Amino acid sequence: MTTGTPTGTRVGTRVGTRVGARVEVTGLTKRFGSFVAVDDLSFTVEPGRVTGFLGPNGAGKTTTLRMLLGLIHPTSGTATIDGVDYPSLGDPLGTVGAALEATNFHPGRSGRDHLRVLAATHGIPDTRVDELLTLTGIPAFARRRAGAYSMGMRQRLALAAALLGDPRVLILDEPANGLDPEGIRWLRGFLRHLSAEQGKTILVSSHLLQEVEQTVDDVVIIANGVLVRQGTMAELHGTSGALVRTSDPERLAAALREHDLTATPGEDGAVLAETTDLRAVGEIAHAAGLPVWELTAKAADLEELFLELTAGGNRNLGDGSMRGQDGAA
Amino acid sequence: MGATVKAELLKLFTTRLWWGMAIAVFLSGAAFALLFGLLFTSESVADQAGGPGGIPSGNPVQIANSVYTGGLSVGYLLMLTIGVMQIGMEYRHKTISSTFLAVPHRAKAMLGKVVALLVVAAGYGVLSLVGSVSVGALVLNVRGADAFPSNEIVRTLALSLLVLGLWALIGLGLGILIPNQIAALLIGVATAWIVEPLLGLAIKAFDFGREHIAPFMPTEATNAIVNAVVASPDDVRLSWWAAALTLAGWATLLAGSGIWRTVRQDVS
Repeated sequence: MTTGTPTGTRVGTRVGTRVGARVEVTGLTKRFGSFVAVDDLSFTVEPGRVTGFLGPNGAGKTTTLRMLLGLIHPTSGTATIDGVDYPSLGDPLGTVGAALEATNFHPGRSGRDHLRVLAATHGIPDTRVDELLTLTGIPAFARRRAGAYSMGMRQRLALAAALLGDPRVLILDEPANGLDPEGIRWLRGFLRHLSAEQGKTILVSSHLLQEVEQTVDDVVIIANGVLVRQGTMAELHGTSGALVRTSDPERLAAALREHDLTATPGEDGAVLAETTDLRAVGEIAHAAGLPVWELTAKAADLEELFLELTAGGNRNLGDGSMRGQDGAA
Repeated sequence: MGATVKAELLKLFTTRLWWGMAIAVFLSGAAFALLFGLLFTSESVADQAGGPGGIPSGNPVQIANSVYTGGLSVGYLLMLTIGVMQIGMEYRHKTISSTFLAVPHRAKAMLGKVVALLVVAAGYGVLSLVGSVSVGALVLNVRGADAFPSNEIVRTLALSLLVLGLWALIGLGLGILIPNQIAALLIGVATAWIVEPLLGLAIKAFDFGREHIAPFMPTEATNAIVNAVVASPDDVRLSWWAAALTLAGWATLLAGSGIWRTVRQDVS
Protein backbone atom coordinates (compact mmCIF):
# COMPACT_ATOMS: atom_id res chain seq x y z
CA MET A 1 0.00 0.00 0.00
CA THR A 2 1.25 3.41 -0.88
CA THR A 3 0.93 6.06 1.72
CA GLY A 4 0.91 9.56 0.42
CA THR A 5 2.04 12.26 2.77
CA PRO A 6 -0.42 15.11 2.89
CA THR A 7 1.73 17.74 1.31
CA GLY A 8 0.61 21.31 1.60
CA THR A 9 0.15 21.85 -2.09
CA ARG A 10 -1.98 18.81 -2.78
CA VAL A 11 -4.18 19.13 0.26
CA GLY A 12 -4.29 22.88 -0.05
CA THR A 13 -5.75 22.83 -3.52
CA ARG A 14 -9.25 21.70 -2.70
CA VAL A 15 -9.22 20.22 0.76
CA GLY A 16 -9.73 22.95 3.27
CA THR A 17 -10.80 26.11 1.64
CA ARG A 18 -13.47 26.65 4.26
CA VAL A 19 -13.04 26.77 8.01
CA GLY A 20 -14.88 24.53 10.36
CA ALA A 21 -18.29 24.77 11.91
CA ARG A 22 -19.31 24.36 15.52
CA VAL A 23 -21.05 21.13 16.42
CA GLU A 24 -23.47 21.38 19.30
CA VAL A 25 -25.22 18.48 20.99
CA THR A 26 -27.88 19.44 23.50
CA GLY A 27 -29.84 17.10 25.74
CA LEU A 28 -29.62 14.33 23.17
CA THR A 29 -31.51 11.21 24.21
CA LYS A 30 -32.29 7.98 22.39
CA ARG A 31 -34.40 5.16 23.74
CA PHE A 32 -34.75 1.82 22.00
CA GLY A 33 -37.80 0.43 23.77
CA SER A 34 -36.98 0.50 27.44
CA PHE A 35 -33.25 0.68 26.78
CA VAL A 36 -31.66 4.13 26.98
CA ALA A 37 -28.77 4.17 24.52
CA VAL A 38 -27.95 7.85 24.90
CA ASP A 39 -29.13 9.77 27.93
CA ASP A 40 -29.41 13.57 27.99
CA LEU A 41 -26.04 14.06 26.32
CA SER A 42 -24.68 17.58 25.80
CA PHE A 43 -21.31 18.63 24.44
CA THR A 44 -19.74 20.92 21.87
CA VAL A 45 -17.08 20.37 19.25
CA GLU A 46 -15.03 23.42 18.30
CA PRO A 47 -13.58 24.34 14.89
CA GLY A 48 -9.84 24.11 14.37
CA ARG A 49 -9.50 21.32 16.87
CA VAL A 50 -9.51 17.55 16.83
CA THR A 51 -11.99 16.24 19.35
CA GLY A 52 -11.84 12.65 20.52
CA PHE A 53 -15.22 11.10 21.19
CA LEU A 54 -14.33 8.33 23.58
CA GLY A 55 -16.06 5.56 25.43
CA PRO A 56 -16.07 1.78 25.67
CA ASN A 57 -17.82 -0.27 23.01
CA GLY A 58 -21.56 0.14 23.38
CA ALA A 59 -21.29 3.44 25.24
CA GLY A 60 -23.55 5.04 22.64
CA LYS A 61 -20.91 6.71 20.47
CA THR A 62 -22.16 5.47 17.12
CA THR A 63 -25.78 6.09 18.06
CA THR A 64 -24.85 9.67 18.97
CA LEU A 65 -22.97 10.21 15.71
CA ARG A 66 -25.86 8.75 13.72
CA MET A 67 -28.26 11.10 15.48
CA LEU A 68 -25.95 14.01 14.67
CA LEU A 69 -26.06 12.91 11.02
CA GLY A 70 -29.84 12.55 10.89
CA LEU A 71 -29.71 8.78 10.39
CA ILE A 72 -31.27 7.99 13.76
CA HIS A 73 -34.16 10.08 15.02
CA PRO A 74 -33.48 11.27 18.59
CA THR A 75 -36.10 10.57 21.24
CA SER A 76 -35.42 14.09 22.47
CA GLY A 77 -32.75 16.78 22.28
CA THR A 78 -30.95 18.31 19.33
CA ALA A 79 -27.68 17.99 17.46
CA THR A 80 -26.70 20.85 15.17
CA ILE A 81 -23.90 21.99 12.88
CA ASP A 82 -23.55 25.76 13.08
CA GLY A 83 -27.06 25.81 14.48
CA VAL A 84 -28.61 23.71 11.69
CA ASP A 85 -29.64 20.07 12.02
CA TYR A 86 -28.12 17.75 9.42
CA PRO A 87 -31.27 17.00 7.38
CA SER A 88 -31.79 20.76 6.91
CA LEU A 89 -28.30 21.42 5.54
CA GLY A 90 -28.31 22.93 2.09
CA ASP A 91 -25.01 21.36 1.05
CA PRO A 92 -24.63 18.25 3.21
CA LEU A 93 -21.41 16.83 1.76
CA GLY A 94 -19.89 20.29 1.66
CA THR A 95 -20.68 20.86 5.31
CA VAL A 96 -20.12 17.51 6.98
CA GLY A 97 -18.02 14.59 5.79
CA ALA A 98 -18.64 11.38 7.68
CA ALA A 99 -16.98 8.00 7.63
CA LEU A 100 -19.18 5.81 9.78
CA GLU A 101 -18.17 2.26 9.01
CA ALA A 102 -15.47 1.16 6.67
CA THR A 103 -17.45 -1.89 5.59
CA ASN A 104 -20.29 -0.09 3.89
CA PHE A 105 -19.44 -0.63 0.26
CA HIS A 106 -21.13 -2.69 -2.41
CA PRO A 107 -18.58 -5.47 -2.99
CA GLY A 108 -19.26 -5.49 -6.72
CA ARG A 109 -18.68 -1.78 -7.20
CA SER A 110 -15.19 -0.33 -7.52
CA GLY A 111 -13.95 2.15 -4.95
CA ARG A 112 -13.79 4.84 -7.59
CA ASP A 113 -17.36 4.18 -8.67
CA HIS A 114 -18.51 4.30 -5.06
CA LEU A 115 -17.10 7.82 -4.85
CA ARG A 116 -18.57 8.73 -8.24
CA VAL A 117 -22.05 7.73 -7.08
CA LEU A 118 -21.74 9.99 -4.04
CA ALA A 119 -20.16 12.76 -6.11
CA ALA A 120 -23.07 12.65 -8.56
CA THR A 121 -25.53 13.68 -5.84
CA HIS A 122 -23.68 17.00 -5.46
CA GLY A 123 -22.46 17.48 -9.01
CA ILE A 124 -18.86 16.94 -7.89
CA PRO A 125 -16.63 16.18 -10.91
CA ASP A 126 -14.71 12.93 -11.42
CA THR A 127 -11.44 14.86 -11.24
CA ARG A 128 -12.17 15.54 -7.58
CA VAL A 129 -12.77 11.80 -7.08
CA ASP A 130 -9.38 10.96 -8.58
CA GLU A 131 -7.73 13.70 -6.55
CA LEU A 132 -8.99 12.15 -3.32
CA LEU A 133 -8.04 8.63 -4.36
CA THR A 134 -4.50 9.89 -4.79
CA LEU A 135 -4.60 11.83 -1.55
CA THR A 136 -5.75 8.85 0.50
CA GLY A 137 -3.24 6.62 -1.22
CA ILE A 138 -5.45 4.10 -3.02
CA PRO A 139 -5.34 5.05 -6.72
CA ALA A 140 -3.86 1.68 -7.64
CA PHE A 141 -6.89 -0.15 -6.24
CA ALA A 142 -9.52 2.39 -7.22
CA ARG A 143 -10.85 0.52 -10.24
CA ARG A 144 -10.94 -2.85 -8.55
CA ARG A 145 -14.13 -4.19 -7.00
CA ALA A 146 -14.37 -3.09 -3.37
CA GLY A 147 -15.11 -6.64 -2.25
CA ALA A 148 -11.39 -7.39 -2.60
CA TYR A 149 -10.26 -4.46 -0.46
CA SER A 150 -8.37 -4.90 2.79
CA MET A 151 -9.66 -3.23 5.93
CA GLY A 152 -6.99 -0.56 5.63
CA MET A 153 -8.06 0.25 2.06
CA ARG A 154 -11.70 0.42 3.13
CA GLN A 155 -10.78 2.93 5.81
CA ARG A 156 -8.94 5.05 3.26
CA LEU A 157 -11.86 4.82 0.83
CA ALA A 158 -14.28 5.80 3.60
CA LEU A 159 -12.05 8.78 4.39
CA ALA A 160 -11.94 9.75 0.72
CA ALA A 161 -15.75 9.60 0.62
CA ALA A 162 -15.95 11.84 3.69
CA LEU A 163 -13.65 14.42 2.11
CA LEU A 164 -15.44 14.47 -1.25
CA GLY A 165 -17.33 17.71 -0.72
CA ASP A 166 -14.44 19.52 1.04
CA PRO A 167 -16.50 19.54 4.25
CA ARG A 168 -16.12 21.98 7.12
CA VAL A 169 -16.73 19.25 9.67
CA LEU A 170 -15.20 15.79 9.53
CA ILE A 171 -16.77 12.99 11.55
CA LEU A 172 -14.88 9.72 11.69
CA ASP A 173 -16.13 6.67 13.56
CA GLU A 174 -13.22 4.51 14.72
CA PRO A 175 -11.05 5.49 11.73
CA ALA A 176 -7.96 3.72 13.00
CA ASN A 177 -9.59 0.29 13.01
CA GLY A 178 -7.74 -1.98 10.62
CA LEU A 179 -5.10 0.57 9.68
CA ASP A 180 -1.49 -0.52 9.83
CA PRO A 181 0.88 1.51 12.04
CA GLU A 182 2.06 3.48 9.04
CA GLY A 183 -1.53 4.23 8.10
CA ILE A 184 -2.34 5.36 11.64
CA ARG A 185 0.64 7.71 11.60
CA TRP A 186 -0.45 9.06 8.23
CA LEU A 187 -4.01 9.58 9.49
CA ARG A 188 -2.74 11.34 12.58
CA GLY A 189 -0.67 13.79 10.54
CA PHE A 190 -3.51 14.33 8.12
CA LEU A 191 -6.09 15.11 10.80
CA ARG A 192 -3.67 17.49 12.51
CA HIS A 193 -3.11 19.20 9.19
CA LEU A 194 -6.84 19.59 8.50
CA SER A 195 -7.62 20.98 11.94
CA ALA A 196 -4.60 23.10 12.82
CA GLU A 197 -3.75 24.53 9.40
CA GLN A 198 -7.17 24.60 7.81
CA GLY A 199 -9.38 25.19 10.81
CA LYS A 200 -11.71 22.30 10.16
CA THR A 201 -13.80 20.75 12.90
CA ILE A 202 -12.82 17.14 13.45
CA LEU A 203 -14.64 14.62 15.61
CA VAL A 204 -13.03 11.22 15.93
CA SER A 205 -14.57 8.40 17.90
CA SER A 206 -12.59 5.62 19.50
CA HIS A 207 -12.93 3.08 22.24
CA LEU A 208 -9.19 3.30 22.91
CA LEU A 209 -7.78 6.44 24.46
CA GLN A 210 -4.17 5.72 23.56
CA GLU A 211 -5.19 5.35 19.93
CA VAL A 212 -6.13 9.02 19.71
CA GLU A 213 -4.09 10.37 22.60
CA GLN A 214 -1.49 11.94 20.35
CA THR A 215 -4.00 13.28 17.85
CA VAL A 216 -6.77 14.98 19.77
CA ASP A 217 -6.90 18.41 21.41
CA ASP A 218 -10.20 17.90 23.20
CA VAL A 219 -11.97 14.89 24.59
CA VAL A 220 -15.60 14.03 25.14
CA ILE A 221 -15.85 10.85 27.18
CA ILE A 222 -19.11 8.98 27.50
CA ALA A 223 -20.07 5.76 29.25
CA ASN A 224 -23.43 4.04 29.25
CA GLY A 225 -24.83 6.83 27.13
CA VAL A 226 -23.98 9.51 29.68
CA LEU A 227 -21.34 12.24 29.45
CA VAL A 228 -18.49 11.49 31.82
CA ARG A 229 -16.10 14.27 31.02
CA GLN A 230 -15.50 16.98 28.47
CA GLY A 231 -12.37 19.06 28.33
CA THR A 232 -9.03 19.58 26.70
CA MET A 233 -6.46 16.85 26.56
CA ALA A 234 -4.26 19.12 28.70
CA GLU A 235 -6.91 19.18 31.41
CA LEU A 236 -7.10 15.42 31.33
CA HIS A 237 -3.34 15.35 31.70
CA GLY A 238 -3.71 17.98 34.44
CA THR A 239 -3.75 15.43 37.18
CA SER A 240 -0.13 14.59 36.43
CA GLY A 241 2.50 16.06 38.78
CA ALA A 242 5.68 15.62 40.68
CA LEU A 243 6.19 13.27 43.57
CA VAL A 244 8.79 14.44 46.06
CA ARG A 245 9.84 12.66 49.26
CA THR A 246 11.43 14.60 52.09
CA SER A 247 11.90 14.69 55.87
CA ASP A 248 9.12 17.20 56.57
CA PRO A 249 6.31 16.95 54.01
CA GLU A 250 4.12 19.56 55.72
CA ARG A 251 6.80 22.20 55.55
CA LEU A 252 7.70 21.38 51.93
CA ALA A 253 4.04 21.51 50.90
CA ALA A 254 3.78 24.94 52.51
CA ALA A 255 6.92 26.08 50.70
CA LEU A 256 5.58 24.87 47.39
CA ARG A 257 2.28 26.64 47.96
CA GLU A 258 4.19 29.86 48.54
CA HIS A 259 5.37 29.46 44.96
CA ASP A 260 1.79 29.11 43.75
CA LEU A 261 1.96 25.38 43.30
CA THR A 262 -0.80 23.10 44.46
CA ALA A 263 0.83 20.63 46.81
CA THR A 264 -0.60 17.96 49.04
CA PRO A 265 1.39 16.17 51.71
CA GLY A 266 0.93 12.43 51.60
CA GLU A 267 2.15 9.46 53.57
CA ASP A 268 5.71 8.20 53.92
CA GLY A 269 7.14 11.70 53.67
CA ALA A 270 5.71 12.21 50.22
CA VAL A 271 4.37 15.42 48.75
CA LEU A 272 2.39 15.52 45.55
CA ALA A 273 2.88 18.74 43.61
CA GLU A 274 0.77 19.58 40.59
CA THR A 275 3.53 20.58 38.26
CA THR A 276 5.74 18.91 35.71
CA ASP A 277 8.66 21.24 36.51
CA LEU A 278 10.85 18.93 38.61
CA ARG A 279 13.69 21.42 38.68
CA ALA A 280 11.52 24.07 40.35
CA VAL A 281 10.36 21.58 42.98
CA GLY A 282 13.97 20.63 43.74
CA GLU A 283 15.06 24.25 44.01
CA ILE A 284 12.17 25.16 46.30
CA ALA A 285 13.06 22.21 48.56
CA HIS A 286 16.70 23.26 48.54
CA ALA A 287 15.79 26.87 49.38
CA ALA A 288 13.65 25.61 52.25
CA GLY A 289 16.61 23.62 53.48
CA LEU A 290 14.83 20.30 53.12
CA PRO A 291 16.57 17.14 51.91
CA VAL A 292 15.12 15.59 48.79
CA TRP A 293 15.01 11.82 49.04
CA GLU A 294 13.10 11.21 45.86
CA LEU A 295 11.87 13.40 43.04
CA THR A 296 9.93 11.81 40.18
CA ALA A 297 7.51 12.92 37.55
CA LYS A 298 4.18 11.26 38.17
CA ALA A 299 2.41 11.05 34.88
CA ALA A 300 -1.30 10.52 35.02
CA ASP A 301 -1.99 7.11 33.62
CA LEU A 302 -4.52 8.17 31.03
CA GLU A 303 -5.59 4.67 30.24
CA GLU A 304 -6.23 3.99 33.91
CA LEU A 305 -8.07 7.28 34.20
CA PHE A 306 -10.12 6.41 31.17
CA LEU A 307 -11.03 3.02 32.60
CA GLU A 308 -11.84 4.66 35.91
CA LEU A 309 -14.05 7.26 34.26
CA THR A 310 -15.91 4.81 32.11
CA ALA A 311 -16.17 2.03 34.70
CA GLY A 312 -19.17 1.41 36.86
CA GLY A 313 -20.77 -1.60 35.28
CA ASN A 314 -20.15 -1.67 31.59
CA ARG A 315 -23.59 -2.56 30.36
CA ASN A 316 -21.99 -4.40 27.47
CA LEU A 317 -20.58 -7.00 29.75
CA GLY A 318 -23.60 -7.13 32.01
CA ASP A 319 -26.22 -8.15 29.52
CA GLY A 320 -24.82 -9.28 26.20
CA SER A 321 -28.15 -10.43 24.85
CA MET A 322 -29.58 -6.98 24.80
CA ARG A 323 -26.54 -4.94 24.00
CA GLY A 324 -25.33 -7.00 21.08
CA GLN A 325 -27.21 -4.99 18.52
CA ASP A 326 -27.11 -1.59 20.09
CA GLY A 327 -23.38 -1.82 20.44
CA ALA A 328 -23.15 -1.90 16.70
CA ALA A 329 -25.87 0.66 16.30
CA MET B 1 -33.45 16.16 -8.06
CA GLY B 2 -31.70 15.53 -11.37
CA ALA B 3 -28.44 14.90 -9.52
CA THR B 4 -30.16 12.42 -7.21
CA VAL B 5 -31.62 10.53 -10.18
CA LYS B 6 -28.24 10.53 -11.89
CA ALA B 7 -26.60 9.05 -8.78
CA GLU B 8 -29.26 6.34 -8.62
CA LEU B 9 -28.74 5.47 -12.28
CA LEU B 10 -25.00 5.38 -11.71
CA LYS B 11 -25.55 2.96 -8.84
CA LEU B 12 -27.20 0.50 -11.19
CA PHE B 13 -24.72 0.88 -14.01
CA THR B 14 -21.63 0.51 -11.81
CA THR B 15 -22.41 -3.08 -10.83
CA ARG B 16 -22.67 -6.10 -13.08
CA LEU B 17 -26.39 -6.59 -12.52
CA TRP B 18 -27.51 -4.35 -15.36
CA TRP B 19 -26.02 -6.11 -18.36
CA GLY B 20 -26.98 -9.57 -17.12
CA MET B 21 -30.48 -8.19 -16.77
CA ALA B 22 -30.30 -6.65 -20.25
CA ILE B 23 -29.44 -10.00 -21.82
CA ALA B 24 -32.23 -11.75 -19.90
CA VAL B 25 -34.79 -9.11 -20.87
CA PHE B 26 -33.85 -9.21 -24.55
CA LEU B 27 -33.75 -13.00 -24.76
CA SER B 28 -37.03 -13.51 -22.90
CA GLY B 29 -38.73 -11.01 -25.20
CA ALA B 30 -37.44 -12.80 -28.29
CA ALA B 31 -38.03 -16.32 -26.97
CA PHE B 32 -41.62 -15.73 -25.87
CA ALA B 33 -42.41 -13.99 -29.15
CA LEU B 34 -41.17 -17.07 -30.99
CA LEU B 35 -43.08 -19.45 -28.71
CA PHE B 36 -46.37 -17.53 -28.71
CA GLY B 37 -46.03 -16.71 -32.38
CA LEU B 38 -45.89 -20.41 -33.22
CA LEU B 39 -48.51 -21.41 -30.63
CA PHE B 40 -51.23 -18.88 -31.46
CA THR B 41 -50.98 -19.37 -35.20
CA SER B 42 -51.17 -23.16 -35.01
CA GLU B 43 -54.15 -24.85 -36.70
CA SER B 44 -55.88 -25.97 -33.55
CA VAL B 45 -56.07 -22.47 -32.15
CA ALA B 46 -57.20 -20.93 -35.38
CA ASP B 47 -60.07 -23.44 -35.60
CA GLN B 48 -61.41 -22.76 -32.17
CA ALA B 49 -62.77 -19.25 -32.28
CA GLY B 50 -64.17 -19.29 -28.76
CA GLY B 51 -61.23 -21.17 -27.39
CA PRO B 52 -63.07 -23.38 -24.92
CA GLY B 53 -60.56 -26.20 -24.61
CA GLY B 54 -58.46 -24.18 -22.19
CA ILE B 55 -56.29 -22.97 -25.02
CA PRO B 56 -55.99 -19.20 -25.02
CA SER B 57 -57.70 -17.51 -27.91
CA GLY B 58 -58.30 -14.10 -29.36
CA ASN B 59 -58.69 -11.94 -32.42
CA PRO B 60 -55.69 -10.99 -34.59
CA VAL B 61 -55.04 -7.90 -32.50
CA GLN B 62 -54.96 -9.89 -29.28
CA ILE B 63 -52.76 -12.50 -30.87
CA ALA B 64 -50.26 -9.89 -32.08
CA ASN B 65 -50.38 -8.21 -28.66
CA SER B 66 -49.69 -11.49 -26.95
CA VAL B 67 -46.81 -12.35 -29.23
CA TYR B 68 -45.12 -8.99 -28.76
CA THR B 69 -45.67 -8.84 -25.03
CA GLY B 70 -45.17 -12.53 -24.35
CA GLY B 71 -41.86 -11.79 -22.67
CA LEU B 72 -43.60 -9.37 -20.38
CA SER B 73 -44.51 -12.05 -17.86
CA VAL B 74 -40.80 -12.70 -17.39
CA GLY B 75 -39.87 -9.08 -18.01
CA TYR B 76 -42.00 -7.64 -15.26
CA LEU B 77 -40.57 -10.11 -12.78
CA LEU B 78 -37.09 -9.02 -13.84
CA MET B 79 -38.15 -5.42 -13.22
CA LEU B 80 -39.56 -6.50 -9.86
CA THR B 81 -36.11 -7.92 -9.17
CA ILE B 82 -34.39 -4.67 -10.19
CA GLY B 83 -36.74 -2.73 -7.94
CA VAL B 84 -36.13 -5.01 -4.97
CA MET B 85 -32.37 -4.91 -5.50
CA GLN B 86 -32.15 -1.14 -5.98
CA ILE B 87 -33.07 -0.80 -2.32
CA GLY B 88 -32.27 -4.30 -1.00
CA MET B 89 -28.61 -3.97 -1.97
CA GLU B 90 -28.42 -0.75 0.01
CA TYR B 91 -29.71 -2.45 3.14
CA ARG B 92 -27.59 -5.55 2.60
CA HIS B 93 -24.32 -3.67 2.11
CA LYS B 94 -25.34 -0.79 4.37
CA THR B 95 -24.74 1.76 1.65
CA ILE B 96 -28.09 3.25 2.63
CA SER B 97 -26.20 5.28 5.25
CA SER B 98 -24.03 7.05 2.68
CA THR B 99 -27.07 7.47 0.42
CA PHE B 100 -28.92 9.35 3.15
CA LEU B 101 -25.80 11.26 4.17
CA ALA B 102 -25.51 12.58 0.63
CA VAL B 103 -29.26 13.21 0.33
CA PRO B 104 -30.53 13.68 3.89
CA HIS B 105 -33.99 14.58 2.65
CA ARG B 106 -35.01 10.94 2.49
CA ALA B 107 -38.21 11.37 0.53
CA LYS B 108 -36.14 13.10 -2.13
CA ALA B 109 -33.58 10.28 -2.11
CA MET B 110 -36.35 7.72 -2.55
CA LEU B 111 -38.06 9.77 -5.24
CA GLY B 112 -34.72 9.68 -7.04
CA LYS B 113 -34.93 5.89 -6.92
CA VAL B 114 -38.50 5.96 -8.25
CA VAL B 115 -37.60 8.12 -11.25
CA ALA B 116 -34.43 6.13 -11.92
CA LEU B 117 -36.39 2.86 -11.85
CA LEU B 118 -38.99 4.22 -14.29
CA VAL B 119 -36.23 5.32 -16.66
CA VAL B 120 -34.39 2.02 -16.36
CA ALA B 121 -37.57 -0.03 -16.82
CA ALA B 122 -38.44 1.96 -19.94
CA GLY B 123 -34.96 1.27 -21.29
CA TYR B 124 -35.22 -2.45 -20.61
CA GLY B 125 -38.72 -2.36 -22.06
CA VAL B 126 -37.43 -0.98 -25.35
CA LEU B 127 -34.77 -3.67 -25.37
CA SER B 128 -37.38 -6.35 -24.73
CA LEU B 129 -39.60 -4.99 -27.53
CA VAL B 130 -36.71 -4.93 -29.98
CA GLY B 131 -36.33 -8.64 -29.30
CA SER B 132 -40.02 -9.52 -29.29
CA VAL B 133 -41.23 -7.39 -32.20
CA SER B 134 -38.43 -8.41 -34.55
CA VAL B 135 -38.82 -12.10 -33.82
CA GLY B 136 -42.60 -11.95 -33.39
CA ALA B 137 -43.32 -10.05 -36.61
CA LEU B 138 -41.12 -12.48 -38.49
CA VAL B 139 -42.94 -15.51 -37.09
CA LEU B 140 -46.39 -14.02 -37.70
CA ASN B 141 -45.47 -13.16 -41.29
CA VAL B 142 -44.07 -16.57 -41.95
CA ARG B 143 -47.20 -18.21 -40.51
CA GLY B 144 -49.42 -15.99 -42.64
CA ALA B 145 -50.91 -14.00 -39.75
CA ASP B 146 -51.21 -10.25 -39.70
CA ALA B 147 -48.15 -8.81 -37.94
CA PHE B 148 -49.63 -5.34 -37.45
CA PRO B 149 -53.42 -5.69 -37.60
CA SER B 150 -54.18 -2.42 -35.87
CA ASN B 151 -52.72 0.77 -34.43
CA GLU B 152 -53.70 -0.62 -31.07
CA ILE B 153 -50.47 -2.59 -31.25
CA VAL B 154 -48.49 0.62 -30.89
CA ARG B 155 -50.49 1.51 -27.80
CA THR B 156 -49.85 -1.93 -26.37
CA LEU B 157 -46.13 -1.62 -26.94
CA ALA B 158 -46.04 1.77 -25.24
CA LEU B 159 -48.12 0.53 -22.35
CA SER B 160 -45.85 -2.45 -21.86
CA LEU B 161 -43.09 0.03 -20.96
CA LEU B 162 -45.40 1.50 -18.34
CA VAL B 163 -46.16 -1.99 -17.02
CA LEU B 164 -42.44 -2.67 -16.55
CA GLY B 165 -41.93 0.62 -14.74
CA LEU B 166 -44.84 0.01 -12.40
CA TRP B 167 -43.61 -3.48 -11.55
CA ALA B 168 -40.17 -2.04 -10.77
CA LEU B 169 -41.89 0.29 -8.28
CA ILE B 170 -43.81 -2.63 -6.80
CA GLY B 171 -40.39 -4.26 -6.35
CA LEU B 172 -39.02 -1.13 -4.69
CA GLY B 173 -41.90 -1.20 -2.21
CA LEU B 174 -41.44 -4.91 -1.53
CA GLY B 175 -37.70 -4.42 -1.11
CA ILE B 176 -38.30 -1.86 1.64
CA LEU B 177 -41.15 -3.63 3.39
CA ILE B 178 -39.22 -6.94 3.37
CA PRO B 179 -35.65 -5.84 4.23
CA ASN B 180 -34.13 -9.23 3.45
CA GLN B 181 -33.81 -8.97 -0.31
CA ILE B 182 -33.74 -12.71 -0.96
CA ALA B 183 -36.99 -13.08 0.97
CA ALA B 184 -38.43 -10.06 -0.83
CA LEU B 185 -37.54 -11.56 -4.22
CA LEU B 186 -38.95 -14.99 -3.38
CA ILE B 187 -42.14 -13.55 -1.93
CA GLY B 188 -42.56 -11.15 -4.85
CA VAL B 189 -42.05 -13.77 -7.55
CA ALA B 190 -44.06 -16.42 -5.71
CA THR B 191 -46.93 -14.01 -5.23
CA ALA B 192 -46.99 -12.93 -8.86
CA TRP B 193 -46.57 -16.37 -10.38
CA ILE B 194 -48.10 -18.82 -7.92
CA VAL B 195 -50.16 -17.24 -5.16
CA GLU B 196 -52.04 -14.77 -7.29
CA PRO B 197 -53.12 -17.27 -9.99
CA LEU B 198 -54.24 -19.76 -7.34
CA LEU B 199 -56.01 -17.06 -5.42
CA GLY B 200 -57.51 -15.92 -8.71
CA LEU B 201 -58.90 -19.40 -9.34
CA ALA B 202 -60.47 -19.45 -5.89
CA ILE B 203 -61.90 -15.96 -6.25
CA LYS B 204 -63.26 -16.67 -9.70
CA ALA B 205 -65.32 -19.51 -8.30
CA PHE B 206 -67.70 -16.85 -7.06
CA ASP B 207 -69.42 -14.44 -9.43
CA PHE B 208 -68.74 -11.48 -7.21
CA GLY B 209 -65.05 -12.31 -6.97
CA ARG B 210 -64.77 -12.98 -10.68
CA GLU B 211 -66.36 -9.67 -11.57
CA HIS B 212 -65.20 -7.33 -8.82
CA ILE B 213 -61.98 -8.66 -7.30
CA ALA B 214 -60.02 -10.76 -9.79
CA PRO B 215 -59.69 -8.04 -12.47
CA PHE B 216 -58.02 -5.75 -9.97
CA MET B 217 -55.23 -8.13 -9.04
CA PRO B 218 -51.79 -7.03 -10.31
CA THR B 219 -51.19 -9.82 -12.80
CA GLU B 220 -54.74 -9.71 -14.18
CA ALA B 221 -54.48 -5.96 -14.55
CA THR B 222 -51.14 -6.36 -16.31
CA ASN B 223 -52.70 -8.72 -18.86
CA ALA B 224 -55.60 -6.34 -19.35
CA ILE B 225 -53.31 -3.37 -20.02
CA VAL B 226 -51.59 -5.08 -22.92
CA ASN B 227 -54.86 -6.74 -24.01
CA ALA B 228 -53.34 -10.17 -24.41
CA VAL B 229 -55.32 -13.26 -25.34
CA VAL B 230 -57.86 -14.40 -22.77
CA ALA B 231 -57.27 -17.54 -20.77
CA SER B 232 -60.96 -18.19 -20.25
CA PRO B 233 -63.93 -16.57 -22.01
CA ASP B 234 -65.71 -16.11 -18.68
CA ASP B 235 -63.04 -13.75 -17.36
CA VAL B 236 -64.03 -10.18 -16.70
CA ARG B 237 -61.36 -7.82 -17.89
CA LEU B 238 -60.83 -4.14 -17.26
CA SER B 239 -60.36 -1.75 -20.14
CA TRP B 240 -56.71 -0.89 -20.72
CA TRP B 241 -56.81 2.47 -18.99
CA ALA B 242 -58.67 1.18 -15.94
CA ALA B 243 -56.17 -1.66 -15.73
CA ALA B 244 -53.27 0.80 -16.02
CA LEU B 245 -54.76 2.87 -13.19
CA THR B 246 -55.21 -0.30 -11.15
CA LEU B 247 -51.58 -1.36 -11.57
CA ALA B 248 -50.43 2.20 -10.87
CA GLY B 249 -52.51 1.98 -7.71
CA TRP B 250 -50.68 -1.16 -6.63
CA ALA B 251 -47.31 0.44 -7.39
CA THR B 252 -48.26 3.59 -5.47
CA LEU B 253 -49.53 1.56 -2.52
CA LEU B 254 -46.40 -0.58 -2.22
CA ALA B 255 -43.73 1.97 -3.13
CA GLY B 256 -45.56 4.67 -1.18
CA SER B 257 -45.83 2.70 2.04
CA GLY B 258 -42.24 1.60 1.62
CA ILE B 259 -41.02 5.16 1.19
CA TRP B 260 -43.16 6.32 4.10
CA ARG B 261 -41.48 3.69 6.25
CA THR B 262 -37.98 4.56 5.00
CA VAL B 263 -38.44 8.22 5.85
CA ARG B 264 -39.43 7.40 9.41
CA GLN B 265 -37.21 4.53 10.46
CA ASP B 266 -33.76 4.75 12.00
CA VAL B 267 -30.79 3.80 9.85
CA SER B 268 -28.28 1.95 11.97
